[in-house]
Amino acid sequence: MPYLGGEDTVRELRRALSNPNVQSDQLRYRNTILKVIRAMSQGVDVSGLFSDMVKACATVDIVQKKLVYVFLCSYAALNPELSLLVINTLRKDCQDPNPMVRSLALRNMTNLRLPSLMEYVEQPLTAGLRDRAACVRRVAVLGWAKLHNLQPNSEIDAAVVNELYSLLRDPDPVVMVNCLRALEEILKEEGGIAINKPITHHLLNRLKESDVWGQCEVLRILQRYRPQSEDELFDILSLLDASLVSPHPQVMAATLSLFLSLCSGLPAVSLAALERVRGPLLAACGSVSRELRFTALCHIQLLLRSLPGLMGAHYKRFFCGYAEPAYIKQRKMQVLVELVNDDNVTMLLDELKGYCTDVNTDTAQAAISAIGRIGRSYSDRCLEILTGLLALKQEHITSAVVQTMRDLVWVCPQCSDTVCLALEGCEETLQDSQGRQALLWLLGVYGEQVSSAPYTLEVFIDGVRSEVSLGVKMELLTTTMRLFLCRPAETQDMLGRLLHYCIEEEPDMCVRDQALLYYRLLHCGIEETQKVLQGRRSDPSLGVLIGRPSEPISQWACSFNTLEPLRQGTVETDSTISASRCTDASADVPASSIAAPLSLSLSPALSPEEFERLWLQRQVLHSEQEQIQFPAIPHCSPQSLQAAMQLVNIQTLAFTPPHTLPWRVYLYTHTQHAGDSPHITLILGELLYTGEEELKVTLKQQPRDDKALKGFLSILTTVLHTLVTQLVWFIAR
Amino acid sequence: MSASAIFVLDLKGKVLICRNYKGDVDMAEIDHFMPLLMQHEEEGLLCPVLSHGSVHFMWIKHSNLYLVATTNKNANASLVYSFLYKLVEVFTEYFKELEEESIQDNFVVVYELLDELMDFGFPQTTDSKILQEYITQEGTKLEVAKSKVPTTVTNAVSWRSEGIKYKKNEVFIDVIESINVLVNANGSVMSSDIVGSIKLKTMLSGMPELRLGLNDRVLFALTGRDKGKTVVMEDVKFHQCVRLSRFESDRTISFIPPDGESELMSYRINTHVKPLIWIESVIEKFSHSRVEIMVKAKGQFKKQSVANNVEVRVPVPSDADSPKFKTSTGNAKYVPEKNLVVWTIKSFPGGKEFLMRAHFGLPSVEKDELEGKPPITVKFEIPYFTVSGIQVRYMKIIEKSGYQALPWVRYITQSGDYQLRTNV
Repeated sequence: MPYLGGEDTVRELRRALSNPNVQSDQLRYRNTILKVIRAMSQGVDVSGLFSDMVKACATVDIVQKKLVYVFLCSYAALNPELSLLVINTLRKDCQDPNPMVRSLALRNMTNLRLPSLMEYVEQPLTAGLRDRAACVRRVAVLGWAKLHNLQPNSEIDAAVVNELYSLLRDPDPVVMVNCLRALEEILKEEGGIAINKPITHHLLNRLKESDVWGQCEVLRILQRYRPQSEDELFDILSLLDASLVSPHPQVMAATLSLFLSLCSGLPAVSLAALERVRGPLLAACGSVSRELRFTALCHIQLLLRSLPGLMGAHYKRFFCGYAEPAYIKQRKMQVLVELVNDDNVTMLLDELKGYCTDVNTDTAQAAISAIGRIGRSYSDRCLEILTGLLALKQEHITSAVVQTMRDLVWVCPQCSDTVCLALEGCEETLQDSQGRQALLWLLGVYGEQVSSAPYTLEVFIDGVRSEVSLGVKMELLTTTMRLFLCRPAETQDMLGRLLHYCIEEEPDMCVRDQALLYYRLLHCGIEETQKVLQGRRSDPSLGVLIGRPSEPISQWACSFNTLEPLRQGTVETDSTISASRCTDASADVPASSIAAPLSLSLSPALSPEEFERLWLQRQVLHSEQEQIQFPAIPHCSPQSLQAAMQLVNIQTLAFTPPHTLPWRVYLYTHTQHAGDSPHITLILGELLYTGEEELKVTLKQQPRDDKALKGFLSILTTVLHTLVTQLVWFIAR
Repeated sequence: MSASAIFVLDLKGKVLICRNYKGDVDMAEIDHFMPLLMQHEEEGLLCPVLSHGSVHFMWIKHSNLYLVATTNKNANASLVYSFLYKLVEVFTEYFKELEEESIQDNFVVVYELLDELMDFGFPQTTDSKILQEYITQEGTKLEVAKSKVPTTVTNAVSWRSEGIKYKKNEVFIDVIESINVLVNANGSVMSSDIVGSIKLKTMLSGMPELRLGLNDRVLFALTGRDKGKTVVMEDVKFHQCVRLSRFESDRTISFIPPDGESELMSYRINTHVKPLIWIESVIEKFSHSRVEIMVKAKGQFKKQSVANNVEVRVPVPSDADSPKFKTSTGNAKYVPEKNLVVWTIKSFPGGKEFLMRAHFGLPSVEKDELEGKPPITVKFEIPYFTVSGIQVRYMKIIEKSGYQALPWVRYITQSGDYQLRTNV
């Protein structure tokens, strides 16, 4: 056949379809239709042939029928009027003695997705529910769901719903499961199908008849059932025990999900169930399909949040194969980090060390940062490995190692000596901005201990003109300032040059402003500068906790066996990275200097329940911790605190009586930038005073907005400050 | 579950065939899939779930095809992936090879199958044995009278239809075990397991009732009783035809078999097995001049057994040249496109030890690129032998008509994922 463009093809096909000679020869007719479908699959717009194709569906040839239906369903939405012509044939087919034809007609009738045809479809669907062939009933049941999906606001026919409920007792298991699915869809507004005791027991008894898909569906829907007595609950659990260790990971996961929802009030039983699925879960991690392996790993990560010790002895199962894709390797490493304990740390680090030289740079960097995470508890061994890696002089490895070291000393300041020794000479290998930024930060904070620090900085400052990374320039400014404070003689000259360049020549406004800020700060005298640059740092042990407390199972149970866990990890790591960047870059800038005009508002109001729910929801909110030195605060009365807060539109929700320890206050507000677009974020806060010098402030935010958070913090500080001075004054009186 | 639509794409991201099941996600969304995939691949964040706005793409790759399911709900991910793999399985059984060409050549059958496999986003009939009874590849032939509903769609024994006839009644039983081993560079076994399966090829008339007898040791292991002495099998799967209640009560495996080829059961044993072929390797790399490789292979299985078609694949640097080999048995070949030396030994008796030496030149100018450390992999097959010791004691075949049928049993142990890490 000669090559024909889209339009020519359509014209050619139309001529063939309307040719009486073709129409009378079944084989030729079908072949022409085949060509139409092929053209459709290839993306040619053949919608113009709709009326010719409608005629073609009146045939006894089943394959031709199927093909024509595929065509009609794809283009029906474009030709609602002409589709009416098809209905007649379809309705006639619903009377056909062959159940195959009946089910085919019913399925395609509902697949046309045309609300205008609804009235013609209902009658055959009702008849389909009572058809003697199971394959017709299967289609009819789902047909009602499709119909309702098409017009969600239409009245639900109670008779149909009743009929569907009674079809739950259909001898065919697929009809039964389809009924569940259809009722879920139709009764969506009412919260889905009503699950009572007889239905539950019926479904449980017939569970084994269904295939894997059906079993998963039934188990998922049963999650809504609440057993009436403890005896009933345990009967159900023991009935489900075999499914819990099912060799099909999907059934196992669905059963576990059901267990967790049934036993939400019995944590001991939930834990026992988790122990029991350990074997099947590990088996799922060894699945042949990498996607299923990935899914299993993601779900194991969920479990580990509540039961960190669950897989400890099986750490070898999470070692990476050479040819595994990077996403699996990275997940496995995340799991390995969680599993580390005194017994396996040597083996585990040995293995991770091997991954650090992986050809895939992302995997290598993930391995290095995994070692850094383990370093929080086993710092000596990990630093040894990390230092060893520097000797390879590989660009991406060195960069990752330096970043990891920076993050490690932030948590474990005792490592600084080793880190400083290792840093010498790194600057030659470092190329990317992230790595150089990390190096600069380390030089700034530990400048006294690195003898070559000024020389390294000098190279950076000499090359600042050609520097492209904004982050590096900002970090360079801060580092040079810090180094100047501890080693003024060596640094003074280059600081001068850097400030001059940044203020006079630098095109970027951010860098210029920061340089100006430092310049004016220096004018205030060296002591002031020291106060700002070397002032308190937030207590590291608060920000990044080493041993994360295990979460209650209920926190993740609802997202178990869904898509969510697969997406979580990536989002989480992203936010932690950006969070650490932010704290680094802006840690030294006084809050007041960047606070944009910010207004707080109390509306929409938040109920205490809502507050509690949001507060416990970790992933949704971005949280930040800060310390403020206001020891006197807990002595003031709740009334005065509440009044003071309300003045600036911060609502206090709950607090402990004064003079009790620990003393807590929960509060919330909404922030809104005065100038910007209406960009509102919700801030939840907790003030905690445990008897030490400082008052701990934990803030959670949704959506994330660092500027607003800083602004809010400065407002909060001001209010508390005013309160304290009043209090002191009051006491003095 | 709820997948909204299923797409089959070629490597360039062009839609070969698609099916819109729910109509709640715009079909044009698929145009974002390929750019997303490329972008994530570049950033090294490739993941089996990609999202564009509220639409999630769950995808798998098979030969030169992408199979993609779209959803805008928080769907059950593992079910969606299983369904995509089920599609691959069904298509492969229909077309032998699932690839772009076979999809294009058979798109009528593909449309028919997609219609039967799923409805409104829910899997319906997914058993390929059943599907094959009413969707046939001879679709292009004209058969008006055909296409009755097979009884199996509604039958109690859904995996076997009635009225099957053979001249000679036979059953072939294959017991196949694959060994997965990962050995560290210092020679310690990091992990090892056995994945076994019993496969049937049934050529029996009528509705026969079969009973399979296994040796006690395995049966104990299967049921998890008597944990002291025997290894515990994990992950035991039976074909749906096996009466599980019967197995649980008196440990007999009784069933009405599906016709033709099927997998009766599969299992996994997580145990410390001695690697059947042990490899010791010394790879010395003298930068800018040469690489010297010495590999010693030892058969650590019974003297009576013989491993066939043994292949030891040793990685070499990609810039190596002028290979020279010396082997005590078999022959070695350099496969430059895979950067491997493949040492083939046709027959390797148990207890024996063989040696291979290889010498390669290296260019004086070194490449900058970092190379990975691929492990040495080994392939082999040992007939008449299973590592777990599983044995078929008997196979009883009972049919109403009372014909005589012969069971044939074959054992084979083969390498699965068999890796030994190297130092270089």
